[in-house]
Amino acid sequence: MIDILTVMLPHVLMALAIWRLLARDDLDQDPHLPVNADVFRAKRAKPKASQAKPPAGKPGHSDA
Amino acid sequence: MLNLFLTLFVAGFLAAGIKRPFLFVLAYTYIDIVAPQKVTWGFLAHVPVSLIAFAFATLAWMAADDKNGSRFSPRQFVMLLLLMYCGLTTSSADFPVEAAEKWGWVWKALIFAIFLPLTLRTKLRIEALALVMVLSIGVIVIGGGIKTIASGGGGYGELKLLVNDNTGLYEGSIISAVAICVIPLALWLAKHGTIFKPSWMVTLFAWGICFACILMPIGTQARTGLICVAVLGVMMLRSTKKRMTYISCVVIAGLVALPLLPHSFTERMNTIGNHQSDQSASTRLEVWKWTIEYAKTHPFGGGFDAFRQNEVSYETVKSDQTSSNNAEVQTQRIVEKGRAYHSSYFEMLGEQGYPGLALWLLLHVMGVMQMEMLRRRYAKNPPEGFAWVTPLADALQQAQIVYLIGGAFVGIAFQPFCYMLVGLQCGLSAYMGRIRRVAPPAFRAPRKTYGATGIQSLT
Repeated sequence: MIDILTVMLPHVLMALAIWRLLARDDLDQDPHLPVNADVFRAKRAKPKASQAKPPAGKPGHSDA
Repeated sequence: MLNLFLTLFVAGFLAAGIKRPFLFVLAYTYIDIVAPQKVTWGFLAHVPVSLIAFAFATLAWMAADDKNGSRFSPRQFVMLLLLMYCGLTTSSADFPVEAAEKWGWVWKALIFAIFLPLTLRTKLRIEALALVMVLSIGVIVIGGGIKTIASGGGGYGELKLLVNDNTGLYEGSIISAVAICVIPLALWLAKHGTIFKPSWMVTLFAWGICFACILMPIGTQARTGLICVAVLGVMMLRSTKKRMTYISCVVIAGLVALPLLPHSFTERMNTIGNHQSDQSASTRLEVWKWTIEYAKTHPFGGGFDAFRQNEVSYETVKSDQTSSNNAEVQTQRIVEKGRAYHSSYFEMLGEQGYPGLALWLLLHVMGVMQMEMLRRRYAKNPPEGFAWVTPLADALQQAQIVYLIGGAFVGIAFQPFCYMLVGLQCGLSAYMGRIRRVAPPAFRAPRKTYGATGIQSLT
């Protein structure tokens, strides 16, 4: 009887924890870290930016 | 009833993993600690639930989980080296059949510990893993604690836990050491948890679990547990703010508890300082001496279960007071064969030799240092939302030091639960590394500029 009662209590709490985790978005995406799609976009944007020609009249590179 | 309940629980846990794949990792953690297949006699006992959960966890991680920024940490490499080295010693073990049997669960524990940090990508996952570890240990210790209060445990090796097979976490000395490791984690969850937010009910339950954990060394009458309690008590002194209040509370609790302890417990604990009259302690010392001698001729270890070839003999000394001035001293020669190491350090030395011991020590020393660095980095003025880091690093460090000191007296060098602690440490460290990498660089005021052009001065 003791075994059944003491087994039930932590299991019920674990079941409740699982139920709560199912509804939490931050289980898979941490709010302090960038979303995977943002990282992907940033990675794609980097090579493009490096390939692009520098705009004319850039500060610090005056034609004068 | 219990059979059906556990079967439904495991099935529900695995079903939840379909929606959130990380739950498979938690399901494996739960199954590995509680071993529900051992508790029940029905469906679960005939299905390899542990293997199923691990396979699902790995496949789900490979197929669906975000791996961006994941890195293999140096400690994961150390575990990988240890895994490969253990594989080598198993292939040339002195007792190939017994070694293969132990290798059968050791490799799983090491692989899971290597894999675990890769999945711990968010703070909530770290918390969820800690919660499942604490509640899973709770399944074992709550019942054990109630039985200890009701019967006093009944003597060394007499406490009947949920599973009565005296293996893994259901072995008295092992659960009494591991239960003490769990206390700092339970207290952290009560204070910083978000799944069960801090409240009086959460605090009450956490204190209840801690109390049950402290009762484990009393119920099992394992001396290792008492040493672990003392070590944790000293370690907690470091992290508590009101030290005098803490010391007073510990002293008062000790004075209140002392008369309530079972006589058999106090009698057994008294043998800590007098090993000559105690057969168990004398055997340990002789086995340790044997292991040192064995390592001289087998520096690369004898593979798992190499202790089976030992034969030790020693004399026990007992003195009985016959009158006020006389004491009768009796010596008895004891010969024993195939006695286990009863120490994680000697277990590593005898089974894996000096290279294995060095890798194992490196793994744990690196862990203690890693947690110390994290603990200090976020101790003063932590960034907003990261006040939980130092207390968690502190709790994990305390758990590891308790394990390392308790491990000196019980063979838990490959205990899967302890590798989960290592995995949790690696996960926390990797998570904080990712946070630091994405954090914006520190602001620096611009240097002098010329007029409206905004061109920086060349100083």
